Amino acid sequence: MREALLGYALVLPALLVFGTFIFYPFLRTAWLGLYEQPLFGGDSTWVGLEQYLDEWGSEDFRNSLFVTVKFALFTVPVGISLGVLLAVAGHQRLRGIGIYRTIFSSTVATSIAVASVLFFTLFNQQLGVLTKLLHREGETPVLDDPRLAFIAVCGVTIWQNLGLSFIVISAGLQAVPDDLLEAARVDGAGAFRRFFRVTMPLLSPTLLFAVVVGSILAFQAFAQVDLLTEGGPGDRTNVLTYAIKTTALGNPPDQGAAAAYAMALFAITLLLTVVQLRFLERRVTYER
Amino acid sequence: MARVVLDHVSKRFGSVVAVDDLSLEIADREFLVLLGPSGCGKSTALRMIAGLEDPTSGKIVIGDDVVNDREPKDRDIAMVFQSYALYPHMTVRRNIEFPLRSRKVAPEARDRLVKDAAASLGLDELLERKPAQLSGGQRQRVALARAIVREPKAFLMDEPLSNLDAKLRVQTRAELVELQRRLEATVIYVTHDQTEAMTMGHRIAIMSDGVLLQVGPPQEVYRRPANRFVAEFIGNPPMNMIAGGLVGRGDDVVVGVRPEHLHFGGPEFVSGLVIAVESLGHERHIGCRLSDGSIVIVRQATDDEQPAVDATVTLSAAAADLHAFAVATGERTSP
Repeated sequence: MREALLGYALVLPALLVFGTFIFYPFLRTAWLGLYEQPLFGGDSTWVGLEQYLDEWGSEDFRNSLFVTVKFALFTVPVGISLGVLLAVAGHQRLRGIGIYRTIFSSTVATSIAVASVLFFTLFNQQLGVLTKLLHREGETPVLDDPRLAFIAVCGVTIWQNLGLSFIVISAGLQAVPDDLLEAARVDGAGAFRRFFRVTMPLLSPTLLFAVVVGSILAFQAFAQVDLLTEGGPGDRTNVLTYAIKTTALGNPPDQGAAAAYAMALFAITLLLTVVQLRFLERRVTYER
Repeated sequence: MARVVLDHVSKRFGSVVAVDDLSLEIADREFLVLLGPSGCGKSTALRMIAGLEDPTSGKIVIGDDVVNDREPKDRDIAMVFQSYALYPHMTVRRNIEFPLRSRKVAPEARDRLVKDAAASLGLDELLERKPAQLSGGQRQRVALARAIVREPKAFLMDEPLSNLDAKLRVQTRAELVELQRRLEATVIYVTHDQTEAMTMGHRIAIMSDGVLLQVGPPQEVYRRPANRFVAEFIGNPPMNMIAGGLVGRGDDVVVGVRPEHLHFGGPEFVSGLVIAVESLGHERHIGCRLSDGSIVIVRQATDDEQPAVDATVTLSAAAADLHAFAVATGERTSP
């Protein structure tokens, strides 16, 4: 009995923090979605699940979901592939390799807001280096171009996440035992066969982690959209998180609808993570 | 199978000399054991033969070819690692197949070779398991199967038994010797365990600090060690070393005598005080303190009369069983 009390006492601080900042807001959001906000102010009214179904079926929601999925499908594989490439390069025993490793991992010390501002400047129509490199002086600015704006937002995201991918995958590479690769060398395997038959399978737990975390980050991406394109041009970069913001704080503000969006984002992220862990894990080899 | 030759091979890591001017010829079908304490350069020597390290100088020959500039995969050797280095994500079958697949052996031939190798090591039932599902002894067999599945020019083994428990080690030792004979294989076997070296090798090459000290058949190395290091490294309990002055030989030599060559009674060679008696069942080890404070061990059969602790005893030894080593260099001075 006393032991149980002590147990509860020990969990209490964590419970308080999680309760205040995660569980309560979560339940509150779910609750908000059950009420409809009248168009011109006044008390909100109970509509039950109706609002959820309405919002999830709406054109705006489906567009945002499509943009978000496209964004994840683009940033995660490209980001991880680049991360593997850089990590393999950084794993070589060469003179001065430490300098490269520092450079490759440096973006981890950059916040997405800083990265966005940085790229905003690079894309600037008058001064931007990238604008000049892409020969777009006098044309539609990159961030206003319906096709390029999406690619630009993806690019900033990939760039910013690269440091983390590089560090995580480098750690995974270092965990591949040298003697396995040496055994493969003696067993007649060339560099490609060693990489694809030995290194990659042993790297699979790391890659699974990177895919799951990368996907969650992609579904939650917000700052780069907010700072670079504000969801535009049109709705081209209007990812779910940004749609939640514009709906909740829009004119008129619609917290009920935003709550329905937020719950959808939560459900999708959860589902995605579970599916990834279930299906990808089958193809993952853990040592011992 | 083929011979392997190390011709004045050295390896330096920065300022550290790991292997110093090593010359050694391993004959076709020979079982040679590279023996020495850890850090003596034996593993580095083996890794240079495998191509996993480049020699700083010298020539490595496998068969009739100088292989210095060849990749490990082009040297046609097989290696068994101390950790076994099995691929954890592959089944036993895939592990054994790996060297064949790397060399693009046709599937029918591959299946037959894997079957043969697995059968000869008793792995038939385990082919679909992953390494994590195997015991240490079984993993060791898989590593061996992966090595013998091809017919390489030479087998390189880096302390392959050191992760097995004592009982399994003795058993596997005998099996490895039998395997080598059956395959008529050239084997270069690295170990720090002198019992393995004595029982397995046709010849032993003893290294210390990167230098080759002596090469010869086990009995020759045991009976006529070339220097004090070899004398003390081979044999258990090790050879007793007695100051020359104590036995009328002069202070510039130490006299070595193996525990089984010291006897109680008889014409006095040296006298001492019994300080401990250890009974091992089949024999006894008796520790005696000499007048200069040093301790010698006498090995005695259990049938022999056991001296009492604290008794003063005289020890005798045949002149032929004494080895003299120069104090300054450690080199053997007796014929």
